[in-house]
Amino acid sequence: MVRQRWWATRVAMLPAHLLVFVVLTFILVRAMPGDPVLVLLGQNYTPQAYAALQADLGLAGSLPEQLVGYVVNLVQLDLGQSLMTGREVVAEFAQRLPGTLELAMCALAISALVSCLVAYVVVLHPRNPVSATVRAYARAAGAIPEYVLAVAGLIVFYAALGWAPAPVGRLDIQILPPPRVTGFPLLDAVLAGNVEAAGSIVSHLVLPVGVMVLAQSALLIKLWVAGLEDAIDDPVTRFRVASGASRAAVVLSVYRRAAPPVITMTGTLFGYLVGGAVVMEGLFGFNGMGQYAVDAVNSGDFIALQGFLLVVAAMSLVVFLVVDIVNMLVDPRRRPGVRVEES
Amino acid sequence: MSASTVTVPAVGAPARDRTDRTGWWKVVPFVVIALVAVVGPFLLPYDPTRVVASASVPPGGDHWFGTDSAGLDVFSRVVAATRLNLLIAGLVTVLATLIGALVGILIGMNESRRGPLGLAARGLSRLVDLADAVPAIVLGLVVISFFGATAPTIVVCLAVILSPIQIRLIRTEVLRVRAEAYLDAARIAGVGEARLTFRHVMPNSVSAAWENTSVVFAVSIIVTAALGFVGVGMPPPTPEWGAMLSRGAPDAVAGRWWSATFPAAALALAVGAFALAASEVLRRRRR
Repeated sequence: MVRQRWWATRVAMLPAHLLVFVVLTFILVRAMPGDPVLVLLGQNYTPQAYAALQADLGLAGSLPEQLVGYVVNLVQLDLGQSLMTGREVVAEFAQRLPGTLELAMCALAISALVSCLVAYVVVLHPRNPVSATVRAYARAAGAIPEYVLAVAGLIVFYAALGWAPAPVGRLDIQILPPPRVTGFPLLDAVLAGNVEAAGSIVSHLVLPVGVMVLAQSALLIKLWVAGLEDAIDDPVTRFRVASGASRAAVVLSVYRRAAPPVITMTGTLFGYLVGGAVVMEGLFGFNGMGQYAVDAVNSGDFIALQGFLLVVAAMSLVVFLVVDIVNMLVDPRRRPGVRVEES
Repeated sequence: MSASTVTVPAVGAPARDRTDRTGWWKVVPFVVIALVAVVGPFLLPYDPTRVVASASVPPGGDHWFGTDSAGLDVFSRVVAATRLNLLIAGLVTVLATLIGALVGILIGMNESRRGPLGLAARGLSRLVDLADAVPAIVLGLVVISFFGATAPTIVVCLAVILSPIQIRLIRTEVLRVRAEAYLDAARIAGVGEARLTFRHVMPNSVSAAWENTSVVFAVSIIVTAALGFVGVGMPPPTPEWGAMLSRGAPDAVAGRWWSATFPAAALALAVGAFALAASEVLRRRRR
């Protein structure tokens, strides 16, 4: 039991962290200037209608009462009803979230893979001309945002060269979408064995994912290169080489020692990529979370926005939890209760 | 929560070498852009918020950067937007650093205390870490739509949203400075805690955050334009790079590249020029 405590305590903190965001969104909505109930009623104002709508939105009663009601609803996974469509916000998210997540996850996985490989070339073959280019590119990390690259990509690869498909959705219009199993479009197509749909989805993902990888992977490359260069000069590496370990074992050990900061950054990168997906969805005609949030902003739907913020926050917290646990697995010294000398 | 913390080596007293003339050109691009922001709006060929010609005229003699799908002059709008975008980013950077200094010092000076004050400081520190876990663009989208998309609310909201980076940097530095002997010396000499904090701790702990302002500036340009890009920024027809870019994107897809390319290039140039200038200024400060 005691042995398992390092991850159990970390997992137990998650609900507390979530509660912080629940209270934060609660306060944000109450701090909104103006009375949302009055704005929504407009011409139809009567004292009865006011009281009814106020109770509906959970804005009636004292603040502690409102907060308790809000938390009770959230525990039952009830984020309220959208003001613009009247649909349950949770149902809407269940439909849209997987697509956005798939976009961000594809970009994250490819960024992680590409940065790992590129850093290997840069650190172990420093005289290679590719290495110099990559170093220069990594120094400019994050200078050009993905939405600028996306517009440039569309001009070049769609308008001029005609290689990329039209940015009007995840699938070509004439192809029927695969049956919904997991909600993740690409995964569903693969599960259904629908090669045509899967190919079409992939071809629609290439440009947005490529743009996100190009814009964000430089951050990881920079950290990998710095970490690997430190780790490779460490006496630990010399000891391994001297004791006759194979090249693969030495490289693996170097990577393991350089990994923790990169893993932490990968968690941060997930947040950036979700933000990037939210910004770019409209451009590529993907009907995901970002598009929903933008529509909610334009119709003043604060119920949907509050839910949107909570869901993204919850996702980020889960990712940081995974990052912390992976880091504690890779480097046991990071587990709580273990004291390490600060270098 | 573990989030990446940027550690910058502490700098001593900046000794400037006045004979060093290499690299001065790196500041030039940003100075040019800043000049455009200051005087540009007085030299515009057309009103940036009015329809001045037929829609989608390609770049040429009358309209250097062409006109967009509504017939607005792209050149005038790109130049006019420079002031707004740079002003917002600059104010956000200043405000975020001020918030960072204040909150960072507050947390750093109090977090090891016993009692409610220490508890509050530690709680605030966790809160800052948590707030930083959510992507800035998502937080900005929601908060700005709640409070209304006007220039002042955008500046204040973005400054609060981006301040965690600065808060963490300053807190770390304060923790280092707190252990220095000159603070004990000042205390023995009878200097009050408040005066001690502002005269001795603050000047010695802001350098890392000061160096980081270039990052905050770049991020705030990118986030402001991203908000405009998704349509949450200033209402049209306010000239703003992000909004121009998103309105030009459908044109670009149809092959009329100019109305999106020029604001995109302006955005990339501004970020790049500032990074170049900042790296040179910081290099000189560091020696």
